[in-house]
This record gives sequence, structure tokens and C-alpha cells, in this order.
Amino acid sequence: MAVTALYVHVPFCAQKCRYCDFDSRSFAPCDLSAALDAYFEQLYARLDAFGDAGALAQVRTVYVGGGTPSLAGERLVELARRISAWCKPVEFTCEANPESLTSQLTAALAGVGVTRISLGVQTLDNDELAAIGRIHDADRALAAIATVKNAGLDVSCDLMCGLPGQTAASWKSTLDGVLTAAPHHVSVYPLTLEEGTPLYRMACRDESLEPDEDFQAACMDVARERLSSAGCHPYEVASYALDGHECAHNIAYWTGQGYLGLGRSAAGMLDAEDFDRLAGLYPDVPARGEAHRVRLVQRDDAATTFDAEYLSQREAVAEDLMLACRMTRGIGSELLVHSASVIAADELAAACDRALELGLATWAPDHVEGRAGRVTSKDVIAGRARARLAPTHLGWLDGNMLFELFWDLA
Amino acid sequence: MYRSGKIVRMNTSIDISHIRNFSIVAHIDHGKSTISDRILELTHTVDERDMESQLLDTMDIERERGITIKSNAVRVSYDADDGETYQFNLIDTPGHVDFTYEVSRSLAACEGAVLVVDATQGVEAQTVSNATLAMNANLDIVPAINKIDLPSAHPDEVKTEIEDDLAIPADDAVCVSGKTGEGIHDLLESIVFLISPPKGDANGPLKALILDSYFDEYRGVVATVRVFDGSIKKGDTLRMMQAKGDFLVDGVGVKRPAETPVDALTVGEVGYVVTGLKDPEAVRVGDTLTWASNPCPEPLPGYREAKSMVYTGLFPIDNKDYENLRDALDKLHVNDPSLVWEPETSVALGFGFRVGFLGLLHMEVVKERLEREFNLDLIATSPSVDYHVYKTDGEMIDVRSPQDLPEATRIERIEEPYLKAKIICPPEYTGAVMQLAIEHRGVTTDMIHLTSKSVEMRFDMPLAELILDFFDQLKSRTKGYASLDYEFNEYRPSELVKLDILLSGDEVDALSFIVHKDKAYGLARGLCDKLKEIIPRQLFEVPIQGAIGNKIIARSTVKARRKDVLAKCYGGDISRKRKLLEKQKEGKKRMKAIGSVEVPQEAFMAILKVDE
Repeated sequence: MAVTALYVHVPFCAQKCRYCDFDSRSFAPCDLSAALDAYFEQLYARLDAFGDAGALAQVRTVYVGGGTPSLAGERLVELARRISAWCKPVEFTCEANPESLTSQLTAALAGVGVTRISLGVQTLDNDELAAIGRIHDADRALAAIATVKNAGLDVSCDLMCGLPGQTAASWKSTLDGVLTAAPHHVSVYPLTLEEGTPLYRMACRDESLEPDEDFQAACMDVARERLSSAGCHPYEVASYALDGHECAHNIAYWTGQGYLGLGRSAAGMLDAEDFDRLAGLYPDVPARGEAHRVRLVQRDDAATTFDAEYLSQREAVAEDLMLACRMTRGIGSELLVHSASVIAADELAAACDRALELGLATWAPDHVEGRAGRVTSKDVIAGRARARLAPTHLGWLDGNMLFELFWDLA
Repeated sequence: MYRSGKIVRMNTSIDISHIRNFSIVAHIDHGKSTISDRILELTHTVDERDMESQLLDTMDIERERGITIKSNAVRVSYDADDGETYQFNLIDTPGHVDFTYEVSRSLAACEGAVLVVDATQGVEAQTVSNATLAMNANLDIVPAINKIDLPSAHPDEVKTEIEDDLAIPADDAVCVSGKTGEGIHDLLESIVFLISPPKGDANGPLKALILDSYFDEYRGVVATVRVFDGSIKKGDTLRMMQAKGDFLVDGVGVKRPAETPVDALTVGEVGYVVTGLKDPEAVRVGDTLTWASNPCPEPLPGYREAKSMVYTGLFPIDNKDYENLRDALDKLHVNDPSLVWEPETSVALGFGFRVGFLGLLHMEVVKERLEREFNLDLIATSPSVDYHVYKTDGEMIDVRSPQDLPEATRIERIEEPYLKAKIICPPEYTGAVMQLAIEHRGVTTDMIHLTSKSVEMRFDMPLAELILDFFDQLKSRTKGYASLDYEFNEYRPSELVKLDILLSGDEVDALSFIVHKDKAYGLARGLCDKLKEIIPRQLFEVPIQGAIGNKIIARSTVKARRKDVLAKCYGGDISRKRKLLEKQKEGKKRMKAIGSVEVPQEAFMAILKVDE
């Protein structure tokens, strides 16, 4: 199966946010330009290597994430141009922060095949923005949304709940403000304190900074309610979209499709066939042996070292089941039936039954217009009935428990 | 000599007048271990490059906690200024109230003690209590004022304190720095001149004291001994006078600090004896060894059976480990003969053992050793003492586990063990100590001003009160200045009740606790609140109730978990997500499912953390 998704990582930021433990560095402005130039040269080379190997021809979705890709300015446009020269993606997303997304940059990106901008809005409360070390303000964020829409591109907004100083009222007004700006897509992430981040250290001294689970749950509920009633339907744990504007690239992650990761810290996933074909581009990565799936993370700028994880067929199937639980539609009939060819049907049924028993999931009709009726796990797994195992409200907010149930099958 | 790992058998016979057996005693952190290390270094017992700080504390746990649990004896050779070579046996002693008996046995093996006092801190409470122990054992005392390299050192004042507070002549006090090594040579000279050589009859009959023992898979029990009369060599048949058993000596040697075989342990010497005994019960600390063929008429005085003070249940988290736990206890027992146990069954925790300990520190150490050295995951339940329960049918039963307490209607009365506790502390803390004692049902029986800096208080108090957080509380309320010693007094009737804990409406036997009725309400409330903190939120709400019989006296609730989901996408780095999930799962493995509730290990010890 050819690779259909491409992720490119741009690990640079004007300033690191206090909660962020993802790979990104900030530089003094005078050094940034040289660092970006050097980094992008290596990206181009890597891109061409994959292009020459024929790995990009079938790419349907591209996602350039960070860091702050918009910080790269012209280089980002050049990168997009080069990517578009290798493939014709139907969805091409660039992440951007409001302060570095100008209308010129947006227009230029639109001109080279970019279809979608994902904006790091986080909140529309200026105090909350300052508390997490963001360098834009609410007006700037709203202006950026308008800019993207004016350029005719899809816009997605990342929002965060459980921020220091955030209240139920401020969260609602953030949601309302964002909905007024009418983006096509919204992601809602509860803040997590990651060890080693400034916010983590601050919270060690000041407990009030620690996100309150109950508050975050309430925020997630409110977001789901308000976004849904504005037509933005949940389709994944953290993702909401107007019909037809779901992020196809992110869906690839959750549905076991292969993807390439280019750039330092970028993650890729290849099935056995693609890995064998492209193994030459991953120097020093050991042979996969019997593995059915290889997960790779590029460790350096020059793409000379990689972390590789090898998954057996059984592990790959368990992972697919686990990831499907992230989707609002849940685990479909096809995946369950397919899984039964690798994992014993009664083990699979036991996991489904346990999820039902704990109230984490429920059987839902396989198609919107269909009816699930009273089906049993055994019937669905054996292909005698069609239904999907969809997470309940509990299975959404307490997803880890559900994920664990299915990953345990590995 | 022990050099770079090479071991050479050496001829050790040395005139008894050239032997010095001593121990180093100090208040915590006054530098006992660094001075020991310096002595080993200066006498070339250990090369500098092999120096690992605190060589004498060999167990991982000892080094991590900075405490000495087992006695240890190391031999060093010292070439003194008078041109003679002396044999020093440095005997390290445990420093916690749980191990007072081991301390007394160790001191009985010495003729002298180096009393280390911090030049910046001066005489502190443990200095007083350790000096008292040493003086009671009739030891020659060499005061050493340590840390003189520090700018805030005031050695002259400290000398005055030693004379005034301890009534020990300080003219001969040596000023040293364990850090720089300054004065260590003078200290070694003082040991030669101030500490008496051992006395004894070289020709026997043999009389030797067992200070410690440990188990070696190949050699059986290895005992550390001090020879008072006679000598021991390989091939001798020896008799243990208290345990009443004979064995053939498989080898003798000394620690330098690596084990080094010698031809014989002669009168006055300290070393180890390989007994070849596979039965741990046979060898007991404090027992006297003699020749089987020509025994001495009387054993050495002071032998005491190690007596368990505290009993707790130890259960493997994974029930499959029950047999492994039994084997582990057997093996540990060889090294720690004070350990006793019997099988116990809990509805909540399955099969395990009720284990007797000398005290709570002993319990913690044993649990930690079982977990580390035998790779077990264990749950320890609330500690209990040995209650004497008189039933209405006239029978008296020993109850060491709350689960064994008969129904209230079948109990005529319960008696609990009372102690005579002795606390030494500076005068300014007497109020705080008395208050603490009152809170723990203690009654002051006596108060003596020992010196201007220390007061000895005596209390009558139930053992059950002491085994909880008393020692820690005492240390914290007196800023570490107080020292505690206690001995069993008698059994007295008490109004005791069994406090039960219910999780989601079901009684959890392993959480039950026997408590004085006046304290039951407070403790029940405290315990319910503490459990609420310890038990993580679950998918559903978990009510926690404290009950006496059918009466609920306290309650709290662990609210249902609202949210636990890895939401952030991280550019498709699924491996990272999965690892987070697995880490979370690893944490859950350390919990015990009680019905449908996941309970962490520490919940069963929550009683120790209840703030009253």
C-alpha cells in the first residue's frame, strides 16, 4: 500500500510556550534566520530523497506542524511549493501562530497548494494567554482567523482548557468568540503538565496552577455542546468539524494508514511493504524481521538517526483497535471482523464486552441511517451483524481505560 | 591485606595487648561514617581509589537511608608511633530504637568507644544517650570533636560541654575532620593509649559472643563473633549455649572489609565463623559459643530472645507469589533471626503471613528487603501489637491481627501490652514531649535532670501507641533532639474496639484496626479522609466508611473520575502515546483490586499517616 500522508516538522518557535514539551527551539532573531535556512535545506533534501524514491506520488494529505511553521515565512512557502511538485494533496495543512501569520504569507501559501491553516489560538482571554507564555493576544487571533478565511482556506483553531486562571465563564466566552469567527474546525485539548516544562515547575510551587480534572471535564462538555450546536460535530477525542471539513490527515493517524514523517522529531508509520521499499532512506535502522508495522521517529536534523519501533501483526491490530476508539464513530464492523483473523474472536469479544460492561462504549448502527438493534459482540466479530463499537460519554472522557482494554489484546 | 581486590591469607596471631576493640558512637549526622571511612583509608585497609563512602553500611537500604541496621565488624592494622603494630576491630552499631538489643550486644564486644561530637553542634541528645550506653557498658571513651574544618567550629566550647553534660574528661579529646583527614592520626594514637586491651584466657575454654549472623547459600550461616576466652579454628566443634546445638567450624576469618580467611580467631579478637549450618534458627545474636568437648561453665550474660513488638500482615499483590514470599522469609530469617511469622488469610488480600517485627523501622526494612532482594510486590497491613483477649468462656487468646478478634459479645476483656518508655531530651522540649505522651495515652512517672542539657523522662504507655507514628512525632517535635528507649512492662486491661473500614459498602478486613474507644472516632475520621486522598478516583464513586460493629462512625467519598484521556496529537507520534498509556498501567499493577475498587498499597498503611 502506498503512503498517502506526509507530516513535516518545523521545530522552531519565537518563544516556547510554558506548557510545551514538544520538540521546538527558540532562537534570538539574529540566529533564527541562519538556523531556519540550515534546517530547511535538510528538509528539502529529505523531501527530494523520498520523492526520488517514488514515495510521495500517492500522498493525499500533508501536514506541516511544529513548533511554529509560520515563523519560517518564505521558507514555508518554498517548502509547500516543493511538496506540491511531488504530489497533489487534497488536503494540505500548515500550522501557524497568529503573530506570525500575515495575509501575504497566507496568500502565498494558498498559491502553492496549501488548503488549510491550523491556528494556535488556545484561548481568547489575554491574561490566560500571558500565563502560558503565548506572545499573541485575542484580537490578533481573531484577525488571523479572518485572514485565513479571506484567502479562501479552511481554518482550524486549537483551544486549551484548564489553563491557569481560566474560569467556566472565560472558557464559554472563548468558545463563543471563536464560534463567532466561524472556523471550519476546532480542536480542544485539556492542558497537561509535562515534566520538565516551566509550567510544571511553577505548578510544583503553586498548586493552583495544576489543571483541575473536574473543571477540564466540564470544559470539554461545554465545548462539545456549544460546538455541536454550531454545527461543528465531534469526530475524535479532541476534534470538531463542520460536515466535510474533518481533518483527513489526522484521521489517517487514527485509522492505521501509513504516513511519512520528515524533519527532526517527526514521527512516521510504515507497513511492512512500504518499510522494505524505503528502508534505504532510514540508515542504521535494523531490519524489521517479522514485524508488520514500523514506527519511526527522526532524531536529528540531518536524518541520520531514528528511533524505530516494530509491531507484530497482533500488535498492529490491537493498535488499530485502540486508535479507532479515539474516533467518535468508534470501531467499525470491518475492523472487528478483520481483527478476528489475527486475534482470537473470544478474546476480542471479551474486550468489547468489558467496554460495554464498564459503560465505556456502546453498539451503534454501522451507518447513520441504520439500526444497531440488540447485537452481541460475537455476532459483530463473526460478521453476522453490522454495528460499530462507539465510545460513550464516559468512554470519551475516560478514554485511557478504553484504549487500554484494546491495547491489552496485543 | 586487601588491595585492589586481591585477598591473601594472613597470619594474624598478635599479642592480646595489641588488640583494640571499639565502636564509634555519635548523634546522627555528626560524622560517624566519614570517620570510619577515614580510619580504613589511613590504615591502608582500603585503597583510596576503592573508597566508597560509608563502607561499613553494606546493605543498599543502609546506604540510602544513611542508617546502620546490622552490626558490622572490620579489622584494620595500625602501625603506631611507638613502632608496634596494633590490631583494631571497629564494630559498627545500629542506631535506632528498634535495634537497641543489637547495640547492647555490639557494645558488649568492645572495650572502648570513640564518641564523635560535631564541633559546630556540640553535645546533642543522642550524644548523651549513646555516651550513657557506652558508660553503662564500662567502656573506655575517647571523645573526638569532628568537623573542625568548618568555620563555625568551636571545639573548646564543645570540650566544656562534654565535661559538663556528659561528665567525661575532655582533656584528651581529639580534634578531627572526617572531611580533610586532619587529626585522624591523633585519634588512632588515642585509641591505642586510652582504650584498654581485651582481657581473657588464651587457653580457654572458649567463650565467644555472637554479634550478628547472615546466610550464605554455599557456606550456610556465617556468624560475627568476639572471642573472650580461648580460640576458634577451622575443624573445631563448637556449641551454641542458648540455642543448644553443635557444629563443625568450616572456616574463620576477618573483614578487612572484604572477607579474609585467617588461621584462627584468638582471645580478644573479632571475626567471622563459617558454621555450615543450614538452619537459621540455630544461630542467634547474643548467644555464647564454646567448645563442645571442653565447654565453659557459664554463658556470657545479657542474652535475650529477640521479641516481636509489632505484627503486620504481609501479602503478595500477585497471589501467585505466596510461595515465593514464604521462601523469601525463610532466607531472610537466617540473616535476621528476630523475624517470626505465621500464615494469614484475608478476604481482601488472599493468602499471606502475619509477621512479627522488633519495631516499625524493622518492618519497613524487612519489607523493602523482601521487595528488592526477592523481587516481590507486597502489601503490608496496619501494624498491631499482641493483645490478650479474655473470652467469656474463660479462654485467653493472643490476638495479633484485628481479624482474629472475636465478636464483642464473646469478649470479657482485652489486655494490651504497656511499656516503660524512657525519653532523653534537652529541657526546653519537656513540655512538647509530655504533650505528645498524653496524646498517646502515656503517663509521666518520673523526670530526672541528668545534666544542664538533658532531662530524662519516664513514661508508662501502651505499646500500641508507640508503634504508630510516635517515634517520628517525637523526633519532629523535638527537632531530632530526643532519644527513645523502652522495655516491656506488663499487660493491662483496656477499652479497645475494632474499627472496620468499608469500601463501596463492603468491609475490607485488611483495613481493620484495633483502637482505644476514646480514640476511635477521631481515628475513623482521620482514616476515612486519608484513604480518600490515597485511593485514586475510579470510574465510579467510592464511598468510604468507618464502623464499629454495625455503627457507621465516619465517612468520606472518593468522587468518580471525570476525565482521563490522552488528547494531544503530537504529530502522529503514537509510540509516545502508547508509552504514556503503558506507564499509567504499570502504576495500576501496584494496586490491589478489592472488589471493583483499585486500592494502592499504601492505603493499607494509611493508619500511620493519619494526623490526629
